[in-house]
Amino acid sequence: MSGKSVLIALAIVLSVIVVAALSAVGSYNGLIAANQAVQAQWGQVENVYQRRLDLVPNLVETVKGVAAFEKETYTAVAEARAHVGQVTAPGPAALTDDPAAFERFAQAQQGLSSALARLLVVSERYPQLKANESFRDLQAQLEGTENRIAVERMRYNDAARTYNTRRQTFPTALIAAMFADRFRERPYFEAQPGAAVAPKVKF
Amino acid sequence: MRRALLHLGFLLGLCLTAEVRADPLPPAPVRWATDTAGMLTPATLGRLDARLAAFEHATGHQVLVWTGDSIGAQTLEDWAARTFAAWKVGRKGLDDGAVLFVLARDRKVRLEVGYGLEARLTDLTASRILREDVLPRLHAGDADGAVTAGVDRLLTTLGGEPQTTQTPALPPLGLAQKILIAIAGLLFLMLLLTHPRLALMVLYSLMSGRRSNGGGGGGFVGGGGRSGGGGASGSW
Repeated sequence: MSGKSVLIALAIVLSVIVVAALSAVGSYNGLIAANQAVQAQWGQVENVYQRRLDLVPNLVETVKGVAAFEKETYTAVAEARAHVGQVTAPGPAALTDDPAAFERFAQAQQGLSSALARLLVVSERYPQLKANESFRDLQAQLEGTENRIAVERMRYNDAARTYNTRRQTFPTALIAAMFADRFRERPYFEAQPGAAVAPKVKF
Repeated sequence: MRRALLHLGFLLGLCLTAEVRADPLPPAPVRWATDTAGMLTPATLGRLDARLAAFEHATGHQVLVWTGDSIGAQTLEDWAARTFAAWKVGRKGLDDGAVLFVLARDRKVRLEVGYGLEARLTDLTASRILREDVLPRLHAGDADGAVTAGVDRLLTTLGGEPQTTQTPALPPLGLAQKILIAIAGLLFLMLLLTHPRLALMVLYSLMSGRRSNGGGGGGFVGGGGRSGGGGASGSW
């Protein structure tokens, strides 16, 4: 009789262990998948920011060509672009791992956004620039790029939120704590005042 | 135990409500051209729909036209990208769709381009289509002309429309072909006499094969594509 109850107890303990192990494996795999989604989306964010960096030199050149265009405006853009280049240095994986570096990156990109927005506002005062077809094309491309940045940032935040929520919810939180340096919390892009208002061109 | 259950229920409820988005997006259209704002004449709408349907059958690219009234205070670009993703325009993995959104009361237009078409339909091209073909006509009050001109240039940019939307006329048969057909007909008659059921099955499979090839019927179904904010916007 007692032998039988011991057996039953053993079976229960064993099945609990099996269930726990299975759920741990499931949690781990789920976290991996969510983390990969975050990294993939981060790659998209970097792509669209790079796209903007590539546009800037052309824009600056076009504006420079216009007689008496305010020099401070385009040098500010060039400086902001250079600043972004310095911040990007640490490497892509490190940025989402390190909230401070991420914040610096976001700040630098925001600086470039403001400088570009100012340039577009100033350019409104130069009729010869508004009549310039290549400038209008650059403006359209810049507008599209700002828009892509907004979309990819939003999708990155969504992916990071899914991952962070999964990481903090109960059984998965234990797994996340066990592999702490693999499953760091992912930082978000914060909506900056005026960030939602991408430089707009009205035709 | 009961409290724990209650907590669980509460958490579950939270999870479910978190899924619900704040601002509703328009439901996915069932046609390629949809005019919820009532800007277009039925004839134009029908013609556009047939052309865009034929374009998808020929090239696989899903190109839609959709008119609406207003999106309120939402940002047009953000709204368009989310709507595009919700409708799943374009094929999954290829993301080769495009949607021309026209908002009547907001007096705004957005041409949203899927990731896969960004190379062929750049922001620049999209912006020019709106600037040169769509917006001036909308400004003049010619919605039919605006949308038609936009679609014309859009489809040309994406590689052109199929030459004929109707099934091409069959070339006249040569003598050899006539003899072949006669032999096939004779064989079928013999089969019908000896194995009537088999003959009917052959006939049925031939006809259903023809039907599935023809396409035609059925409306727009999203293929799982997404956009990344590519395209252009404008207002009139």
